[in-house]
Amino acid sequence: MTHIAIADQTAHLHHPKTFIGKYIWSQDHKVIAIQYSVTAIFVGLIALLLSVLMRLQLGFPGQFNFITPDAYLQFVTMHGMIMVIYLLTALLLGGFGNYLIPLMVGTRDMVFPYLNMLSYWFYLVSVIVLMSSFFVTGGPTGAGWTLYPPQSILAGTPGAGSGIVLMLLSLAIFIVAFTMGGLNYVTTIFQARTRGMTLMRMPLTIWGILTATILGLLAFPALLVSAIMMLFDATLGTSFFMPAIVSLGEPLNHEGGSPILFQHLFWFFGHPEVYIVALPAFGMVSDVLSVHARKNIFGYRMMVWAIVIIGGLSFIVWAHHMYVSGMNPYFGFFFATTTLIIAVPTAIKVYNWVLTLWKGNIHLTVPMLFAIGFIFTFTHGGLSGLFLGNVVVDLPLSDTFFVVAHFHMVMGVSPIMVLFAALYHWFPLVSGKQLHTGLGKLHFWGTFLGTYAIYLPMHYLGFLGVPRRYYALGDTSFIPESAHVLNEDITIAAIIVALFQLVFVANVIWTLRSGPRSVRNPWGVASLEWHTPDVPPVHGNWGDALPTVHRWAYDYSVPGAKQDFIPQHVAEEDVEYEAGGRRSGEGE
Amino acid sequence: MSWFGILSEKPWLPEAQGTAAQWGRTAYTPAVKISLRFLLGIISVFFMLFFVTFISRSQYDDFLALAGEPWQPFTHSWRLWINSGVLVLASVAMQNAVYALRRDQSLRLLCSLAAGALLAMLFIILQISVWQFLQAMGYGVAANPANSYFYILTGLHALHLLGGLVALGRVVNSLRRDGDLQNRHAAIEACALYWHYLLGLWLVLFFMLTRTPETYALIAAACGLG
Repeated sequence: MTHIAIADQTAHLHHPKTFIGKYIWSQDHKVIAIQYSVTAIFVGLIALLLSVLMRLQLGFPGQFNFITPDAYLQFVTMHGMIMVIYLLTALLLGGFGNYLIPLMVGTRDMVFPYLNMLSYWFYLVSVIVLMSSFFVTGGPTGAGWTLYPPQSILAGTPGAGSGIVLMLLSLAIFIVAFTMGGLNYVTTIFQARTRGMTLMRMPLTIWGILTATILGLLAFPALLVSAIMMLFDATLGTSFFMPAIVSLGEPLNHEGGSPILFQHLFWFFGHPEVYIVALPAFGMVSDVLSVHARKNIFGYRMMVWAIVIIGGLSFIVWAHHMYVSGMNPYFGFFFATTTLIIAVPTAIKVYNWVLTLWKGNIHLTVPMLFAIGFIFTFTHGGLSGLFLGNVVVDLPLSDTFFVVAHFHMVMGVSPIMVLFAALYHWFPLVSGKQLHTGLGKLHFWGTFLGTYAIYLPMHYLGFLGVPRRYYALGDTSFIPESAHVLNEDITIAAIIVALFQLVFVANVIWTLRSGPRSVRNPWGVASLEWHTPDVPPVHGNWGDALPTVHRWAYDYSVPGAKQDFIPQHVAEEDVEYEAGGRRSGEGE
Repeated sequence: MSWFGILSEKPWLPEAQGTAAQWGRTAYTPAVKISLRFLLGIISVFFMLFFVTFISRSQYDDFLALAGEPWQPFTHSWRLWINSGVLVLASVAMQNAVYALRRDQSLRLLCSLAAGALLAMLFIILQISVWQFLQAMGYGVAANPANSYFYILTGLHALHLLGGLVALGRVVNSLRRDGDLQNRHAAIEACALYWHYLLGLWLVLFFMLTRTPETYALIAAACGLG
């Protein structure tokens, strides 16, 4: 029997009949994607609120009694971890990966629908475990999102009791969930593509998701290893990472452990994590730019190679996060070199995005605005990364707000811009309705300009030497009064940006409740996901027969063709050309 | 086609005449086999990272190896050899199940699967008895990093074996439901491969956890961790 995901016939497809089967314990990749997305956005909003609270303390220190030093550190930690793992990774791969992979490669579902369902429920459990740490004695961990031992499990650090244990447990459960989902994504892409969908005909979104998933499957074990070992240190008194130490005047039972070992493990996961977030975003933004510029993506092959090369290189740059840990200078030289090398394929991608826009028929739709916004924020974030990749520049800037500004631009704002581009772009496919354009543009400009208002001045604070993670700066002599004023301004900008996100939430709610129905394929997209018999696609996706693919996903404005895009499943002999306009097929 | 060949394709060129007819003729590898290969890769990375930290940690002064001197628990490791023998038998039983499957012998298949599962459970029980033996000797989990690694690595290996038992249980359950041997080929072969892999992994663990300090120093030097 042919596997159900690639079967032409739908006879073996068991359509759920009850509400619970359809929407709760669903094995349909689209429902699971929505479950992932809603959960991720929900925790993302919590993390956004936490960032506003921490900004209130930084902008107006001492004005809010409920923000104690412990609470501030807890807000910082939970904001970071939630945003990186539980929002970005989950939404990009669990949400968009689940929704788009089967539709873009032409299958009926993931190859293991049951495992896919379990993946979501494990993810939800990991979120619940994490959130429960807000309600235990001592609260959530305040160790910083990197959770460095020994301080993360020592008395004196907020949440050193239950908080850190719940965090580590939650991460372990998340990794199990990711592994279940990731195996599904990779196997579906390699094994279940429809007829004619060669690897090099896949949209770049799928290449990004595929490479990011492989990175995740290989990098998350490092986090799991460190989480398990730290759990043992915290609960059973082992000494994997804990050196001989005196805490609050009392010598502890630990001896001989290596905190640096944890840092290596953490960043062996942590740096690929940057690309686990970035690569799907790279893929999606490529597709959005191409569609809304009505032009094929510039340098498709180079884009694929760049994604694969970035994925490979991302495993040999991790120690650039540890220049201040006292490493051998030759080590620093090696990691600085690999870090600068990884900028080459990344720069190729940026050039190709710009060249895709060059002489394109640019439609300034809301997704396009966010996609162009991404090119700006990513370039700025990437360039400051070149500074920090060099050891001599990194040392004075380490642990300052320059670093905070850099990584927020490159892996905070940039993926978020792509996420919004993607949400506005694919919303009509998912819901059958189109988000309100005016509200969308308001949301874009508020977010785009607002984030610049937050992070550009933050670079300057870093140059001044303002340290990150400090509850209050006090009367520090080298920090001028202007820095405090700047901090106030940044806080006000952060609050405004947060409020602008409510415009998006309101737009989604209003559209779902009373927005007009969207036309079919409103953007004129050539890739498969917009060409299902039903929009939004129903269970099984493809009706009676799977599509056959005859071309890549970027046939826009083909010379001589009557329509300005040719869907992937349309054969060459079925394309309508103007008289004498058939393309020759010669050359590149 | 090689990966280089695949990545060199020019998808923007129009499809050559007659190409479409050939789609769908490619051989189909069962999804379960592909995903198992990925899973084994992930588990290998997972344990490899533990090994790196283990070798690195073994070079600290406070690390007391579990073998080498007469009073240490695994200088004579006959308990672990017995456990290894049990796991080898479990693996043989699973391979026997694969042969039975190929010959369509359902009774032999079920008996072999049951033997594979029971022997795996026996292995886990014997591993727990080794833990008790260590505890009785005063080698608790926090007493020394070598002990900590022994408990953590053997525990994680046992957890993976338990996961395999759950998967095998699901396969046997579906066999009981419909008796359709032909559609279970890939799943049963995957279970057998998983058993063999865990046997191989256990032998590596056995080797790693029962060496003398001199051997650890040699491995560390070879890995650049000395």
